[in-house]
Amino acid sequence: MMELEALQAVWPQVRALGASLVAISPQLAQYGRAVRRRAKLEFDVLTDLHLRVAEAFRLAFALPPDLKQLYAAFGNTLDKFHDEPDFRLPMPARYVVDQDGRIRAADVSPDYTVRPEPDDTVAIVRGLRAANDARS
Amino acid sequence: MSLQQQLDAFKATFESGAPPYNVSRERIEIMHRATEELRQSGLAERALKVGDLAPAFELDNQDGRLVRSADLLADGPLVIAFFRGHW
Repeated sequence: MMELEALQAVWPQVRALGASLVAISPQLAQYGRAVRRRAKLEFDVLTDLHLRVAEAFRLAFALPPDLKQLYAAFGNTLDKFHDEPDFRLPMPARYVVDQDGRIRAADVSPDYTVRPEPDDTVAIVRGLRAANDARS
Repeated sequence: MSLQQQLDAFKATFESGAPPYNVSRERIEIMHRATEELRQSGLAERALKVGDLAPAFELDNQDGRLVRSADLLADGPLVIAFFRGHW
């Protein structure tokens, strides 16, 4: 949530650069809507049911059994939110993809409390834009 | 405050066991262990990285409208944020 709010703060800059920004999570669309409302997000929150796209980026991992139980004790049942009986999640990741489909920045963290600054992401997008403009 | 400073502040409050989270030491240790295991698994290093081709995707947005990465990339660069969920 904190990361999404921070990305929302730079979303106007991303748009001004002619770039797009999407968030992807395995949770069902109704929870995506709730996140957008609560965090006042203007960008799309996409539903990656059963982590198919997260798998393609090699981000999916299964929660260890004790953590599974712990989340259940918090009243948090991933199988309900995600329709995902295996209790898998994506590692937190932020990618910048250039127009040719090439990944130009990648930040994948096993620890969700360590995340890159949105300003740095904007700077990377700006650099790509400048390089693409120079080529054309 | 930077995002990382906000996350650090959240973590400090969460792990103090104080309100509003009131998390027990035992639970914090389970969470630490899981993060450490994930780190040691090397999974993060095997994820797609700079220079790789990003897989194309077609996913529904929050309103059930189909969003295609190819359409977004036709306009400009694309930033993708993977997150676990709203909780």
